[in-house]
Amino acid sequence: MRTALAIARKDLRQRIRDRSAIVVGVIAPVVIAGLMSLAFNGVNNFHFTLGLVELDHGPVAAQLVRALDAPQLKRVITLRTVGTPAQASSEIRSGVLAAALVIPAGFSSSVTGQHPDALTTLTSNNATIAGDVATSVASSFVAQVNADRLAFATAVAAGAPKRDTSQLVGLVAGLRIPLQAVERPIGAHELKVISYYSPGMAIFFLLFTISYTARSFFVDRSQGMIERMRAAPVRPVEILAGKALSVFVYGVVSLATIGVVTTAAFGADWGAPAPAAVLGLVLVFSVICLTALTIGLARTQRQAEGIGSIVVFGLALLGGNFFFISSAPSTIKHLALLTPNGWAIRGFTDLATIGGGFATIVEPVVAILIFSAVIGAAALSLARRAVTS
Amino acid sequence: MALTSSPGGATGAGSPDPRRRPVLECAGLTKSFGTRLAVDGMGFRIFEGEVYGLLGPNGAGKTTTMKMVCGLLEPDQGTITIAGQQAIGNLDVKALIGYVPQDVALYPDLTARENLEFLARLYKLGRRTVAARVDEALELTELTDRRNDRLDSFSGGMKRRMNIAAGLLNHPKLLVLDEPTVGVDPQSRHAILERVQAFGREGLAVVYTTHYMEEAERVCDRVGIIDHGHLIAEGTRRELVAQLGEQDRISLSATGDLERLAEACRGVTGVTNAATAENSVHLVAAEGRRLLPAILEAADAAGIAVTSVDVVEPDLEAVFLNLTGTALRE
Repeated sequence: MRTALAIARKDLRQRIRDRSAIVVGVIAPVVIAGLMSLAFNGVNNFHFTLGLVELDHGPVAAQLVRALDAPQLKRVITLRTVGTPAQASSEIRSGVLAAALVIPAGFSSSVTGQHPDALTTLTSNNATIAGDVATSVASSFVAQVNADRLAFATAVAAGAPKRDTSQLVGLVAGLRIPLQAVERPIGAHELKVISYYSPGMAIFFLLFTISYTARSFFVDRSQGMIERMRAAPVRPVEILAGKALSVFVYGVVSLATIGVVTTAAFGADWGAPAPAAVLGLVLVFSVICLTALTIGLARTQRQAEGIGSIVVFGLALLGGNFFFISSAPSTIKHLALLTPNGWAIRGFTDLATIGGGFATIVEPVVAILIFSAVIGAAALSLARRAVTS
Repeated sequence: MALTSSPGGATGAGSPDPRRRPVLECAGLTKSFGTRLAVDGMGFRIFEGEVYGLLGPNGAGKTTTMKMVCGLLEPDQGTITIAGQQAIGNLDVKALIGYVPQDVALYPDLTARENLEFLARLYKLGRRTVAARVDEALELTELTDRRNDRLDSFSGGMKRRMNIAAGLLNHPKLLVLDEPTVGVDPQSRHAILERVQAFGREGLAVVYTTHYMEEAERVCDRVGIIDHGHLIAEGTRRELVAQLGEQDRISLSATGDLERLAEACRGVTGVTNAATAENSVHLVAAEGRRLLPAILEAADAAGIAVTSVDVVEPDLEAVFLNLTGTALRE
């Protein structure tokens, strides 16, 4: 153990002296998490200005305008009346409007006829989400109108007296489609972007420890240092333990520092400290196993760098370090469950949204430990060979 | 006189005092890498206070032998005993060995003190002992005033001295120096050789591998000559040279086809061996001076212009040439 401590201490001293390690371990993850938070902050506070070109001025159009001006939509939409479709297009191009809705002249009267006029939404490639929302609102209104039309037509077909038509119109106009989709997050808190990207970036840069340590092992070997250590009464496993210990300390300090800084500076939520710490420790353990595997598989410094890079970017892409895994295709979502970083991100975001303490992280912790056991078993004999060859 | 490859050949005039204890005993060491036999049945003994030179050309098996002695390679066959303890696979025995590898094996981004402290800790020494040993090693190699400087600011010679200092931290009984002067300036080389001689006087058993004949002659009490993985001769310088009898070594510098010149010289009666080395041809010949006209005539007949001739007393270079038919530095 004393030998492993000596090796770890020496490795950490070299690592601290190499300023790039501090940059990769702390500064870069904090800066990039902050930038990503800024870039994606709109997802949390989505709002746009919708142009309304009202050419109808009939009762149905008035109903649509009231719907668009409803308090529920005020958080998302600011309504702005525009005179003509051409003016609306011009304002969309200039960025004043994100999208526009055109109610054609004669829309209200056409609703009761055989060929009702269509509502048109004007959209731009620069604001696709705003366009989708505007189209969705219009479609929802059209669905209501069509339901009214169907109800009226059904009543007339069933033999309702003609003298009651105006009463009937009034009756169906008062009906509303009862089914609505209501969003209710399962967690106690909404997931903030920074609370996703802080662990995401911290873990991504933690993964770089794999290639850094593997490369430094082969530098040590090419400098004759591994041989020199082996000439002393040191077992190969003690050399590996020393390297693992340095990765462990570096990884824990890096994660903890990023956690504190992103929480204090950006308001990131990593969940309750104790379960978050356990999750972090287990994750760092899996990184040690991956480092040993990389050392075991490589034969040279360049191979170590190559394998390390493949491991880092492969895991980061599959695990969802760069993007919300919830918006990824189902194949990626399933593959993320094969990665320790994917499980760790899931654990941290669950802690931030659901809360629940240690019970919340049982599944991610067990999954990461199984991953580590499989990788570690394969890595140990391979890495021993790398030390003794 | 000992000229065998069997272990324990250190007998006869100039041999170590039989009352001294052997520190290193190797017998029947064999090591192959794939189909290549690197060391074949090597055996020798080294006594306390003795500097033993392993002399041979590059690729002769010196480094492989030393790595087996230091526990870095496991022999296919044979035994190694260090200070009476069986050494193969024995971790504790490594504490008795100081290993100075051929290339400088230290961290360039750490200071001299940090490097030595780290290496001393590998021997599981206490904190105070580590500090004392580091100071001692720095003083011994005259690097105390540079203790807090990073290795990458050191000259080549200073790095070599640091490399040796690192091998002394554990107070070894056996010091293994694998070509410690390669690439070193003359002044540092002189200092290193002086130090190696002092190690022997201080009672340390030293194995010194080199392909520089003059180094082996200067610092080693006994020399083992190694070629193609075999120990082909062993003894003191005087013992080894004596086997040449009255023969001289003639060194011919020439321009042109040196191999052709060597071939021409082999045809001269009295020349027992001829081999090319760097920019010259080395000959071993009885009564060399008397043969010079015939040798120059043979060179002229072969169309080679000899630019200088040097006839020297028999030395280890001549011994090697006589034993192997090749020069030490081909």
